[in-house]
Amino acid sequence: MLKSMLKIGKMRWQEYNIYPSNFYLFTLNRIVEVVVYIFVWQAIYNQTGNAGGLSIEQMVTYYILVATLRPIILWGCNEDMAYSIRNGQIHKELLNPISYFQYYFGMEIGEFAFATVVGLATFVCCAIFWKVMIPASILHFLLFIFIILLSVPITFSLQMIVGTVGFYSNSIWGMQILRTAIISIFSGIIAPITLFPQWFQTLNNFLPFKELIYTPINIYLGQISLNEIGIIIIKQIIWGILLYMLAKFFFNHAVKKVTINGG
Amino acid sequence: MAIIEVKNLVKTYKISEKQNGILGYIKHLLHPKYREQTAVNNVSFNIEEGELVGYIGENGAGKSTTIKMLTGLLTPTSGSVVVNGLVPNEKRIQNNKQIGAVFGQKTQLWWDLPVIESFRLIKKMYDIPEGEYRKNLKKFTEILQLEELLDKQVKNLSLGQKMRCEIAATFLHNPKIVYLDEPTIGLDILVKDNIRKFIKDINKEKKTTVILTTHDLKDIEEVCDRIILIDKGSIIYDGEKEKFKDIYGNKIIAEFVVKNKTKSVTLETQEEDFEVIEETENSLKIRFNHDKLTVINIVDSISKYCEILDMHVQEQGLEEILKEIYRGEIIRD
Repeated sequence: MLKSMLKIGKMRWQEYNIYPSNFYLFTLNRIVEVVVYIFVWQAIYNQTGNAGGLSIEQMVTYYILVATLRPIILWGCNEDMAYSIRNGQIHKELLNPISYFQYYFGMEIGEFAFATVVGLATFVCCAIFWKVMIPASILHFLLFIFIILLSVPITFSLQMIVGTVGFYSNSIWGMQILRTAIISIFSGIIAPITLFPQWFQTLNNFLPFKELIYTPINIYLGQISLNEIGIIIIKQIIWGILLYMLAKFFFNHAVKKVTINGG
Repeated sequence: MAIIEVKNLVKTYKISEKQNGILGYIKHLLHPKYREQTAVNNVSFNIEEGELVGYIGENGAGKSTTIKMLTGLLTPTSGSVVVNGLVPNEKRIQNNKQIGAVFGQKTQLWWDLPVIESFRLIKKMYDIPEGEYRKNLKKFTEILQLEELLDKQVKNLSLGQKMRCEIAATFLHNPKIVYLDEPTIGLDILVKDNIRKFIKDINKEKKTTVILTTHDLKDIEEVCDRIILIDKGSIIYDGEKEKFKDIYGNKIIAEFVVKNKTKSVTLETQEEDFEVIEETENSLKIRFNHDKLTVINIVDSISKYCEILDMHVQEQGLEEILKEIYRGEIIRD
């Protein structure tokens, strides 16, 4: 089963790499994005002498890490899933000897691998032009990686939930935008969470999104104590399980549209 | 014990009834109305291991619905399906391991990748032992002539090439049962021959049970031993292919080239047991039942009115028989 998923992941990876331009264009996109954010914050710093409570080095590192993590957190296969539902390819996928979720998790592995490579390339390119801070310690760096890995079940489940909407609507474009917007705002892609109003921050503490981007970066920067990290890990595991169950329940319910009404 | 047991299978679809106009649209949103339509009505049959069954019927007769229920993709409204001891729609994934399926144009091959990658994925997913995989791949490559295709991207293959690869992919894991829903649709004669030969070979060697739906009756004539004919959701014939012809059609069509015709044969022979389908100045086409008459009888009757120069006799094929059944011209006694 694991072997099949890895093979699917590898095939997904190969699909991306048929056109080498994929890699260059995606990386270029990330860099352009990060440049915009960095210039804005440099302008704010030059005028006010303050970059949202962080030093300008920290802020630059924050956005470079955002650009690195962004594809890992946001990319996925929900559009492929919706497409397969729409054109009936789902019949073929339901006849696989592994479950639909396992099949798509395999895809997700490929997405993750490609996103990681694009993320790293973005990081390296940015590190040439700006000074990037190194992690607070090796332990902090390992925890940074660990928290990112913990986000995989969460982002995967969100992908599956959005993809499942394809059973009810012939386009998931709107849902896709909504998912990206929610994650972008709540996770700290647009701006560090501390800049948002207090009520927003309180609400955000209960949601899993902050832990996708904001928390790992702050662990990298050494801004979060080890005690807090323990609680964060538990919270992410619980959210991972909850969202996975929700995704599974939603999918099993929706797939009856195919198995009972025939599509 | 039969490998596939189908008992009193019924499938009804709910079809939403939409009214016209904006008012109708709003009405439908608030209070959708449904109409029930029976696609498969009380179908029962047993299929033994190693059988080659042709499942035929008109478009919309309920073929695909039945196949989907057999594979577990559709839940029956009532009745039962047991495939090799499993109920497919309850234990779908377990059932998937023992079956293979080809659905017309839908493919399990990865569009952007070379064919061989999809085969390797199948090997991993079905856990096919290395030796078995190599043996099958070598054999399939030979029969279906895949050598040059394996390294090509699927998107660069023609329809026939794709279907050959698809068929190979379906049989790679030695499935016990294979469902082929229109495997030869849109293919040229050589590819069709190729695929038919392949199905027969594998069936002989591995005792794979094959259920084939098709509109190309040559497929049935060449591959299948048994026919199940479904019409408007109900089975109207289930049995050997040869018997099917006996019951419905033991008819022969004779074409004559004639000259010096004195009278209209059609009018003169109205009382006789045969039927003149076509009559021109120089030719006659006559259909008769082989149980009651022989060609000699026919020649005797018509030689009174003309001089026969040449003749050509032909047994009525499945296709003609089915055409008549579909049109409602033959009703089984």
